[in-house]
Amino acid sequence: MMLARLPVILLLAAFAGACSNGNNSAYHDQFFAFGTLVDVTFYGTDPDLAAQASEAIANDFHTLHQEWHAWQPGQLTATNALLAQLEPFRGDPVVLPVIREANRLARLSGDLFNPTIGKLVTLWGFHDNALPVGTLPDRQAIAALVAQAPSAKDVVIRDDMVSNSNPAVQYDLGAFAKGYAIDRIMERLRSLGIENAIVNAGGDLRAIGRHGNRPWRVGIRHPRQKGILASIEIETDASIFTSGDYERHFEIDGTRYHHIIDPRSGYPADTATSVTVIHGNAATADAAATALFVAGPGHWTGVARSMGVELVMLVDTSGVIHMTPGMQQRIRFEPGISPELRISEPLS
Amino acid sequence: MTRADRLLLLLVICTLPLLYAQLWQQDGTASHIQVLTGNDAPVTAPLAADRTLHVHGPLGDSVIEVSKGRARFLSSPCAGQTCVHSGWLQAAGEVAACLPNRVSLQIVGVRPRFDAINF
Repeated sequence: MMLARLPVILLLAAFAGACSNGNNSAYHDQFFAFGTLVDVTFYGTDPDLAAQASEAIANDFHTLHQEWHAWQPGQLTATNALLAQLEPFRGDPVVLPVIREANRLARLSGDLFNPTIGKLVTLWGFHDNALPVGTLPDRQAIAALVAQAPSAKDVVIRDDMVSNSNPAVQYDLGAFAKGYAIDRIMERLRSLGIENAIVNAGGDLRAIGRHGNRPWRVGIRHPRQKGILASIEIETDASIFTSGDYERHFEIDGTRYHHIIDPRSGYPADTATSVTVIHGNAATADAAATALFVAGPGHWTGVARSMGVELVMLVDTSGVIHMTPGMQQRIRFEPGISPELRISEPLS
Repeated sequence: MTRADRLLLLLVICTLPLLYAQLWQQDGTASHIQVLTGNDAPVTAPLAADRTLHVHGPLGDSVIEVSKGRARFLSSPCAGQTCVHSGWLQAAGEVAACLPNRVSLQIVGVRPRFDAINF
């Protein structure tokens, strides 16, 4: 009799197992902040604490966005106004640590990540919520700014005193602020006792811990077609940042002009379509994704080494994928996707 | 068959659809759309029912079309039209957003393959 009931018992056991599956313990929230859509997932967190934490980080994102905004009045625009006067001044305590870290990463990148080219970004019309339409910036104005070569090296910070020797310097933390903010947010979540989380701000993310009994699973979007290019699993702690020419861009006469400006030419960098960087620190991943995009397929390895980045995937304009051996081990291409691969020497 | 056996059998038959959904349905099967407007609570609607939704944001109405198990921004009052150019979304986890109008559209489903999409 007992044996006859065995299939039924097994079925019930399977049902119980399905009900206790990890999805039941995931908390998910979305909100608009930092100029983008922020998506958060916590695993194994008390629902009340999760809701409280989500609200807290939404507030943090709003505050940081105001403080570091490149063109809406706030602490960064006030700092830019002082830098333009070319006289030493006492730095704003809210902005100074961010600028210090941005300058450090700029130096490591050989200025390919250049947070001081705000004037160039303005010329291209990317300092607006709406994208520019119709006309390109004046060629001579671009050449003049490039000749002035604004650089983080022009800005000297001693204790809290800041001096600037180049009138072309104007900070725009767009290629860095999101990463720096996500690092801060993760510190906040940990201080609240949250150990398993993904914070995804407009496609750039940091994940800590795990999704229950499995790692976090992240899909990397294909830069040139709908759908996913590859996937990666994360456990413990990692940030994944991608810079792509498909993000903020506009087209004139069939040519695409995007927001990743090569500080050496003053024009959008044009040898890569996307660069994905995985790193423990989101600010580094963010700045490196931009710097390696600008460096392009011929020069990215040297810049990555200098910035201490070991997991990189660069898709060039021909669709060839360049990556480090470490990245090759970590990612899995989607079925049916088998691009031409060029694997670099190990960078460490 | 005793009365208890019959009860057990009935229970098993009733739980089969749930078991199917939990264990056999393919991962990532899209089932709903989720629309977020500003900081309001998100609204969900089934993908199976064709419809047109007018979602009010700070710039005006974003129009979302659901048709044949897919969804898209049909129009939006923003200048860039990035949301409209995103085209049809149909896989669980896909998302498009009109940031100026603070409206997002996401496809949700059974056990999505990914916890997050990087781009």
